[in-house]
Amino acid sequence: MLIRIQGGRVVDPTDGRDAVGDVWIENGKIVAPSEHTPDRTVDATGCVVMAGGVEVHSHIAGGNVVMSRLLLPDLYVSESAPNGHPFAHAGGSGSWVGANYAKMGYTTAVEPALPPSNALATHLELADIPLLDRGALAVLGNDDHLLQILRDGEGKAAVRDLVQHTVAHARGLGVKCINAGGASAFKDGVLKLSLDDEIPVYGLSTRKIMTALLDAVEEIGVPHPLHVHCNNLGLPGADDSFVSTLDAAEGRRIHFAHAQFYAYGVVDKENPLTGGFRSAAERITEAMEAHPNATFDVGQVVFGQTVTISLDILRQFAGRKGANPKKWALSAGDAEGGGVVPFLYKPRGGVSSLQWAIGLELMLLSKDPERTILTTDHPNGGVFTEYPRIIHLLMSREEREKEIATLPSVVGERSSLPTIEREYTLSEIAQLTRSGPAKLLGLTDRGHLRVGAKADVAVYRDSTDRTAMFSRARLVLKDGETIVEDGEITAWRHGRTLELDVETDSAIVKRSEAYLQDRYGQGLDSFAVPDAAFPETENFEDVACRA
Amino acid sequence: MAAWINGNAADTDAAVDAAATLLATARTPVFAGLSAELAAIRAAYRLADRIGASLDPAAGDGLYAELATIAAGGALTTTAPETLGRADTVLVIGNRPWAGDLVAEVAGSKPVRGRAAGEERSVLSLGGPANGASRHVAYGIGNASLDVAIGHLRAFVRGNLAAEEAFGELAKRLAAAKFGVVIYDAGEIGEAGTEMLLGLLKDLAETTRFFALPLADPFQGRAVTQLSAWTTGQAPRVGFGRHMPEHDPWRFDSARQVAAGEADAALWLASLPSPRPSWLGSLPAIAIVGEGSADARPETAEIVITVGVPGASAGGSVWNERRGVIGYVEATGHAVADTAAGVIAGITKNIEKKGASC
Repeated sequence: MLIRIQGGRVVDPTDGRDAVGDVWIENGKIVAPSEHTPDRTVDATGCVVMAGGVEVHSHIAGGNVVMSRLLLPDLYVSESAPNGHPFAHAGGSGSWVGANYAKMGYTTAVEPALPPSNALATHLELADIPLLDRGALAVLGNDDHLLQILRDGEGKAAVRDLVQHTVAHARGLGVKCINAGGASAFKDGVLKLSLDDEIPVYGLSTRKIMTALLDAVEEIGVPHPLHVHCNNLGLPGADDSFVSTLDAAEGRRIHFAHAQFYAYGVVDKENPLTGGFRSAAERITEAMEAHPNATFDVGQVVFGQTVTISLDILRQFAGRKGANPKKWALSAGDAEGGGVVPFLYKPRGGVSSLQWAIGLELMLLSKDPERTILTTDHPNGGVFTEYPRIIHLLMSREEREKEIATLPSVVGERSSLPTIEREYTLSEIAQLTRSGPAKLLGLTDRGHLRVGAKADVAVYRDSTDRTAMFSRARLVLKDGETIVEDGEITAWRHGRTLELDVETDSAIVKRSEAYLQDRYGQGLDSFAVPDAAFPETENFEDVACRA
Repeated sequence: MAAWINGNAADTDAAVDAAATLLATARTPVFAGLSAELAAIRAAYRLADRIGASLDPAAGDGLYAELATIAAGGALTTTAPETLGRADTVLVIGNRPWAGDLVAEVAGSKPVRGRAAGEERSVLSLGGPANGASRHVAYGIGNASLDVAIGHLRAFVRGNLAAEEAFGELAKRLAAAKFGVVIYDAGEIGEAGTEMLLGLLKDLAETTRFFALPLADPFQGRAVTQLSAWTTGQAPRVGFGRHMPEHDPWRFDSARQVAAGEADAALWLASLPSPRPSWLGSLPAIAIVGEGSADARPETAEIVITVGVPGASAGGSVWNERRGVIGYVEATGHAVADTAAGVIAGITKNIEKKGASC
């Protein structure tokens, strides 16, 4: 079918487009303007046309996400939907996730924490998220097998082989390390860990583990750089951890998760942990400008009730004291573990207001929105459905001033947000939510509207009310098929789960089998993610490694 | 595959058609058991949503004691491999854990990872057998119930009680652990015991590392819980009578629904072994059971359909108790054509074809 989206304002920063024009689609791909009569013409007059949104860091599947639903069954609201997709109106369900991303014009979403020990359940859950293409990042950095190899100094090739095999077996799209060594250290009694602190028993440090993973990711050619969750998240002085980690990368590609939670400078140097924090957004911005090898996603805070979900068991254990409501779940799992802690970002509270300001500051100070990805670290900073409101705040100083006027003075005293005049353009929003995340994930077939791209397209009615505009897309196409019209789902389809196409060395397979048998009494089969487990015959799609 | 309608042999298609007719005309159908591979449980949730049925897994008392405690206070857990690899102190509560192999394995090994590696493992019991086959130090509870005994122990750990020698000593042992684990069956210690135990663990966590290892039920309860959570946002039991998922363990207890006369049809899903509901036979029902099982016979229900058994005559994703995760098992013998998921999907399609609306 040949489709012409006609007369809309086409915004594609990767092609220098921001003007009224057409987008042509055929067989699920963007094509050059055709001389043939289109089978379908969409009149996009008065609309903005962008590529489908791409999410790089949203906790949408996995054991901790399941636990969050059990811990807070009333966090999301279910509604009656007799004629809709099964479960799309079941608050917090996988179908609800898919539907709400699609309504906003998003067509791809990545779960950043795929524990290899629980890979099958995570993938089964991802597969039940309709409409979107999905992916997940295999988590490494606390597993005894990897730490043994590093402790014994077996060399880069051994680490590379293990990482390669783990990603392939877990069917991950990339690699993430979460407070590397932290979960292991926590189990051995440690409560605070910095970049060069010793991990008990192994004699390693976060720096040693992370740099080994950075090397492995580069050598394997994983398109997405190592996705790093640093030490000391959320603590005053976490900016030091961020900058030290950035320096430790020594020019290698690195992605920082939820940077907002690290942009906290110490106020009282005599009492660093109890003296409060001030924005370190300017320091983080300067560091990022000096390191073009790095990217980050924001982790913007949204006011209201949420639940924090993380494999950073060290951080979540510390965070239990701030649980609101006062209940929490922690799991000392195989390798990583994790924690689920409810949290209330108090509307107009001093701390939450400053966190809110810092996230916006990071995005507004950035000179390169393509390396500054919009996330709320769903649900840690807040629910992803708040993206339209955040975009509105980025695009309108007036809207920010209105909000700031309701907040305590600490926002002006400890952040520069009130003084920032910048207003994001639509092209910059596209960089922040489309081209940036797609490039970051190495997904060359999306995030833009150039010829050959997947026909993942979002059409919005242009409006100064950016919240309304980006909340309910007028039209969303996934692979050229209409899935949303006027903010409602019109066709339910299954997307694919993107996995890295990577070879595995046979020696490491044998070695892993022996290790797992010894440790679990079961081998690789019990960790497998076979195609036969999935209801759809074609659940996975390969993504090639870098040349 | 064998199938029966009203005691007479039938082909599977006819049985699927009869099942669809029964469910399509039911006012308040209940789905029970759900002891099956994940694909079948998934299909059952979709069918339940389609016709407004409620779902009640066979998992039983332990599952609800755990879920209630999680919703009220949370959890502090670990896995069997971490217990075997790291624990220097293991407390076994009650009698049920002694029935499996895990306690003997724990007692017969030492920690090999972490700061306690190489040390002897201390195995303690509370309210369990005094002379178990394994080496352990037993603490009796007299006539007290387990939940009261756990509360008593917690008082010693917190320092609120200090006089009683045995519990005082036990509390000190727990506090001295480098990596401690409590093994128990939530069904045996009950909701109050589970909640009190969570409090005890949270108290211990202030100074050391101590985690729970609750034993899973053998009827796929944990797999059902995961799928239910990601499918509906809610834990079981769940009902769809009002066209949205509602979680209510009391309201959607199938035994209660049947006894109260609320349910007018049932589907019992048991491609894996599961206790046969006592109420089966008291209302029109469909039984989807594993081939070769004791219930694969015409008297089990009005409509009986036999299907492949995961790990034997069918592949499927099931709960892996050893690893505490969902894992895939291949068919080890001759794979059969009819799977539980396929049969339920067939019933759903048939109902849609009939145009039934709820």
